[in-house]
Amino acid sequence: MNAFLVVYLCILISKALVNTVLKYVWQSNPNRDEPWYNQKTESERQRNTFLKAFTDFLAFMVLFNYIIPVSMYVTVEMQKFLGSYFITWDEEMFDDELGEGALVNTSDLNEELGQVEYVFTDKTGTLTENNMQFIECCIDGHVYVPHAICNGQIMPGTTGIDMIDSSPVEEGMESEELFFRALCLCHTVQVKEEETIDGIKKGLQQCSKSSSSSVYISSSPDEVALVEGMKRLGFTYLRLKDSYMEIQNREDSIERFELMEVLSFDSVRRRMSVIVRSHTGDYYLFCKGADSSIFPRVIKGKVEQVRARVEHNAVEGLRTLCVAYKMLKKDEYESVCRQLNSAKLALHDREKKLAEAYDEIEQDLILLGATAVEDRLQEKAADTIESLHKAGMKVWVLTGDKMETAAATCYASRLFHRNTQILELTTKRTEEQSLHDVLFELSRTVHQHSGSLSRDSISGLSQDMQDYGLIIDGATLSSVMKPTEDGSSGNYKEIFLEICRNCSAVLCCRMAPLQKAQIVKLIKASKEHPITLAIGDGANDVSMILEAHVGIGIMGKEGRQAARNSDYAIPKFKHLKKMLLVHGHYYYIRIAELVQYFFYKNVCFIFPQFLYQFFCGFSQQPLYDTAYLTLYNISFTSLPILLYSLIEQHVGMDILKKDPYLYMDISKNCLLRWRTFIYWTFLGVFDALVFFFGAYFLFDNTTLTSNGQMFGNWTFGTLVFTVLVFTVTLKLALDTHYWTWINHFVIWGSLLFYVVFSLLWGGIIWPFLNYQRMYYVFMQMLSSGPAWLGIILLITVSLLPDVVKKVICRQLWPTTAEKIQTKRQCLTVEQSTIFMLSQTSSSISF
Amino acid sequence: MLIVFFLPHLLYFSSYWSKILKMKKDNKPDNTAFTQQRLPAWQPVLSVGIVLPLFFIIGLAFIGIGIGLLITSNNIQEFEEEYTGIGDNSNCYICANNATANCKCTLNFTIAQPIQGSVFMYYGLTNYYQNHQKYLSSRDDQQLAGETYYLKNPSQSCKPYQMDINNNPIAPCGSIANSFFNDAFALYYNNQGFLDEVKLDGSAIAWWTDHNVKFSNPSQTGSNLSQIFEGTVKPINWSKPVYNLDVNNPDNNGFINEDFLVWMRTAALPDFRKLYRRISGNYSSFMPSGNYTLEITYNYPVKDLPGKKKVIFSTVSWMGGKNQFLGIAYLVFGSLCFVMGFILLIVYAKYQNVEDNDD
Repeated sequence: MNAFLVVYLCILISKALVNTVLKYVWQSNPNRDEPWYNQKTESERQRNTFLKAFTDFLAFMVLFNYIIPVSMYVTVEMQKFLGSYFITWDEEMFDDELGEGALVNTSDLNEELGQVEYVFTDKTGTLTENNMQFIECCIDGHVYVPHAICNGQIMPGTTGIDMIDSSPVEEGMESEELFFRALCLCHTVQVKEEETIDGIKKGLQQCSKSSSSSVYISSSPDEVALVEGMKRLGFTYLRLKDSYMEIQNREDSIERFELMEVLSFDSVRRRMSVIVRSHTGDYYLFCKGADSSIFPRVIKGKVEQVRARVEHNAVEGLRTLCVAYKMLKKDEYESVCRQLNSAKLALHDREKKLAEAYDEIEQDLILLGATAVEDRLQEKAADTIESLHKAGMKVWVLTGDKMETAAATCYASRLFHRNTQILELTTKRTEEQSLHDVLFELSRTVHQHSGSLSRDSISGLSQDMQDYGLIIDGATLSSVMKPTEDGSSGNYKEIFLEICRNCSAVLCCRMAPLQKAQIVKLIKASKEHPITLAIGDGANDVSMILEAHVGIGIMGKEGRQAARNSDYAIPKFKHLKKMLLVHGHYYYIRIAELVQYFFYKNVCFIFPQFLYQFFCGFSQQPLYDTAYLTLYNISFTSLPILLYSLIEQHVGMDILKKDPYLYMDISKNCLLRWRTFIYWTFLGVFDALVFFFGAYFLFDNTTLTSNGQMFGNWTFGTLVFTVLVFTVTLKLALDTHYWTWINHFVIWGSLLFYVVFSLLWGGIIWPFLNYQRMYYVFMQMLSSGPAWLGIILLITVSLLPDVVKKVICRQLWPTTAEKIQTKRQCLTVEQSTIFMLSQTSSSISF
Repeated sequence: MLIVFFLPHLLYFSSYWSKILKMKKDNKPDNTAFTQQRLPAWQPVLSVGIVLPLFFIIGLAFIGIGIGLLITSNNIQEFEEEYTGIGDNSNCYICANNATANCKCTLNFTIAQPIQGSVFMYYGLTNYYQNHQKYLSSRDDQQLAGETYYLKNPSQSCKPYQMDINNNPIAPCGSIANSFFNDAFALYYNNQGFLDEVKLDGSAIAWWTDHNVKFSNPSQTGSNLSQIFEGTVKPINWSKPVYNLDVNNPDNNGFINEDFLVWMRTAALPDFRKLYRRISGNYSSFMPSGNYTLEITYNYPVKDLPGKKKVIFSTVSWMGGKNQFLGIAYLVFGSLCFVMGFILLIVYAKYQNVEDNDD
């Protein structure tokens, strides 16, 4: 849009320059410069030539300035502002559960919703519900599954646990209890009491029965699921009181642990720890975290069994956490305390020092076991992803989860299909081969395929092309992004981008929040400059939401940070489909038409005025009356296009949703490309030529009235202006595919308004004006037959080329949307004919 | 204009209020056809099937109109004579080069075919920029509307013809009035040797509204025009004061003199004609063929512009004067529509099958 504006600015300046130069060439003859009938005043004669030329130039600029559609900016802003209401109003994007609909935080990006090429989505809470269910835990290789539902029937004790493997032996019991206690203690869950103190006591006794009396609250749903899971396994976390954590164990007795330290969770470390002191005075460090961050720190425990179980669960798509502990002696604990305190008090690099301290403390752990938590896919997430794929978007899932879990979710959400060839770029592979080799091998695979594809597409044999899916993990990604030693920094990046370009789906797992933003940035900066969209629900997605062109927040369970930092907030992932395929598509075609039409109508408006300068001695004489000049953009032609840009629907909403392919119709900014722009501009120039020279030849030395009287220059201008207003409005009418009563009202209304205004403007001697140039001009024009015929002719002539172009393009090179329009038209016609036929046949049978 | 700019703000506040009001209810969006973008709509498609018949209909209609217009235009008789006086052998050569006032010259011409119907007489000027911005604005509509204040205090826009050297107000002021066309014509029919004057009627040559509403003389009870205009001077180029323009008809004087009104309606293009008289009397409905003599009182200088002066005699139909353009344009465009229609038909027939195969 801004580039178009620059072009028009150039046109404006060159027009003014050309006219100024021509004016002085033309005026070089003194009889033209100052004919006897049009003498100058003395002061005008004495003015400096250069100064005069400059003022003339400025005067031409003023005369032609309407070609720069200033009103377009106002209209575009209004369109964006008002148009965004349709998103908030949309009932289909309203979530009853949350009681909230979509939110629009910025209306600047409405049209970019129609141009998205890359979708970066978070997994947890975005693709999935973020509604965690504790599924099982594995202690020393023994698997425990709590009773399916905690409905209050489960009594404390072993009856509540199904043991899949073998019943625990003595020492198993001990580690089992330790494991449960660990999970009960190692968290940052808060308990919200719903009743009064009396009620709490009641709640304590009935805790296992009514879980509603106390509610666990945490920033992480996993923790809640775990603590709730523990409750079902017999260990209930009661509360944190005076830095004592209270647990009700299986024997209904309350154990109190003093909470000494919390080494809180962060997404880089991927684990958290607590240090507690039991009533016996022992210090324990409990640590839970992702397997990758726990296993390297474990020195004892049944690592192999647990690892096998964790991997098994991950493949199932469950989120796994490992739990480990360590006993601390008193002096050990004191040194830990010192370490932590000095880190906490550090003035510089506190973060770094803390991380180092944590790293040192969480060493030499003893593995207890692992947990598995299920996070179900959101409703229609798979359908949404599939539609996005069909719409030509590349979907990237960025998650902090481990690869197997994430991959399982990706399969479930149909990001990867069964026939998708998975390319892996993970630490596991780069351990075997060097990164360099892996990258080259992958790019070779991809290119081989694309080579064969182009051959196939020529022969027209292959129908469905081979899909590629890429899996990359955080560690590998950072080594890809890292500049190589030999200095060719962009090298790997380029290859990586090349691979990504050929993959329809990419899964990035084990990502740190900043890495998410990094990836978005990488794609944004790639040479095609694609429009990116990031969608997420948590605080860890904020960086990528801010980085991407369009940021969408899900109003999820992890707070509203993402929703607040985003451009748009939607309740569920499934709403993204309508947001992009319907709203985005509409906004794009609407704004595209708005912009092009504005340029077009101002060319039509100003070009005749430019031409008129050649016939009035380059004297800056406006062709139209001042009122017309002012009101053209404000009231005669503004409302129809504003309305069009608010409610136009070239294809129905349901069809857009049903056929995601339609989204590709408008990809790569195709309606605002130079070709379209030039077409519109030329159409404008053509129309302007028709208006001006049509009127010129009509007025050429003849009378247009049956009483022999002559028309003057204002009638000439009014005739051109009338043709102009009608042509420009009817052109929009031709472009409108969706005629509601409002469209009819506004389009015919603004034409009527023009006529009524002109009648009024010319019908009265306006006392506040010191000129009455328009008096009866419009009426006189309407009383002339040839003027009517001329107006009709000129309107038709200027509209015809566009109609022909449209019809021929539709017939020969129809876009998908046009095909659908035609089909729909046929269907309705067929339906009505069938209806008519059936009616006639029934009437015959009577 | 203001409303347009404040509309977003208004809407913002209205939405703000509606939010406050909605706090009590739940914030579920309204389910109306408008908010859900599901208003019932007519969805036309510009397909070949619709456009084709339209093209043929438009083509036929336009060809019909075009033929009608051409025939009407061809039935209009128009007769044009130039009298600028360039070239030694032209009658007005002396007048054109001798700048004496009211120089007379005659122009003889022959009308071969008798002219049926009322005939209008125009004068025409070429290369004369009545539409020049400076010229066009050099008038005072308030003075011309007869407002007494402006009679003595003409607008600044009239400069350099606002005041004369003695600082007297000029009435009517401005360049347009000052350059008022002041050639006069008399027409004679050469009836077997003696000249029969053809009567010319100068009424209703200007717009009725100009004559009756837009222009009027300043009124002052109990005084005639010359008294009213006392204190003003005539425009520099004029030979007679404005209240004495038409000696034969006292009502046709002052600002509402019809010749003056015609001149004040500035022409759109540099080559223009203006209505001078209608032929009346014996010849009002029929001008016989034969020789005519036009006596010209030659005052108006155009030689230096360089421009031309001419007189035109023309009949008028319902569509005005002779205008081939409109008829031809209709014909050409109508035929073009037809051709386009055929092209579209071929395209349609040829590519219809392809599309069917696609489906």
